[in-house]
Amino acid sequence: MSLNIYGQQLDSRFLIGSALYPSPHVMKQAILASGSQVVTLSLKRQNPNEQSGQQIWQYLQEVVTEVNGHLLPNTAGCKTAKEAVTLAKMSREIFKTDWLKLEVIGDDYNLQPDPIELLSAAEQLIADGFKVLPYCTDDLVLCQRLYDLGCQVIMPWASPIGTGKGLMNPYNLETIRLRLPEATLILDAGIGKPSDACLAMEMGYDGVLLNSAVALADNPVLMAKAFSQALLAGEQGYLAGIMQQRQTAHPSTPTLDTPFWHQNS
Amino acid sequence: MNIHINGKAYSVGGEAQISVSSALTLHFVEPQRSTFAVALNGDFVGNTDYDTTIVNNGDSIDVLLPIQGG
Repeated sequence: MSLNIYGQQLDSRFLIGSALYPSPHVMKQAILASGSQVVTLSLKRQNPNEQSGQQIWQYLQEVVTEVNGHLLPNTAGCKTAKEAVTLAKMSREIFKTDWLKLEVIGDDYNLQPDPIELLSAAEQLIADGFKVLPYCTDDLVLCQRLYDLGCQVIMPWASPIGTGKGLMNPYNLETIRLRLPEATLILDAGIGKPSDACLAMEMGYDGVLLNSAVALADNPVLMAKAFSQALLAGEQGYLAGIMQQRQTAHPSTPTLDTPFWHQNS
Repeated sequence: MNIHINGKAYSVGGEAQISVSSALTLHFVEPQRSTFAVALNGDFVGNTDYDTTIVNNGDSIDVLLPIQGG
């Protein structure tokens, strides 16, 4: 099964960030180990005469070309729709893609997305031809509104960015999956360990986007591989059909013709 | 006139206004060799409009380059 991003079919359901790695080399190796075909990146004020930014950019281009993948620019740091729209247009010019991870942050403490500004930005960007992948909270109605605007991909958070707390509210996430069966749902942010990603896939999510959990691992390359396997396990578990939980114990071993010690009771 | 590029103040003596292209030369050694995008006072300026977009006294330019992101 493939991941559908605005009609583009991808083999991997793992979207990975490019920040926080110990070195550009480790970043590249981790991305390759992840098997991901979508790599997020950003824009920032930099002294253009310093070459570090250009080197990272060259590294990322090499990696994405090697995996026949896609760049997914984000609008990290934006707090208003206007800022996000401007940054989106700048990203489109540089990265030559209309894909956009739309982030509009409403609170500095937990970096929670601002739903009002997010909707406004999404509406403007879709009208301008962008393929918007909004990063949002796990609010069903917000996700529904984003989908109604034309966001074919919705990316609710698992928990605040960089916390590694995993799936804070599984009920909300399950409800979004249930109510938006046609949307491509990608769990984004807050994932800490491979089992978190596996759980999201067992819920029927279409993919997972993460960065810190891999980049901050003691061995990012090994962790990228672990996440890749966890996503596959969760996806196959979901497709296989998970058994219903039961309140009472049921013996796994057939009770008919049980051994001799039961015969005298 | 005085302008800001990425928050840094630049003074352009004797000019009432300049183009974005001219302003960029204040900030870059070789603009043509870099990958960047520009906003003027918070609005995107496409790279085909650098020569015709005017920067006035007090304006602020943002020059952004690719960076890692999550």
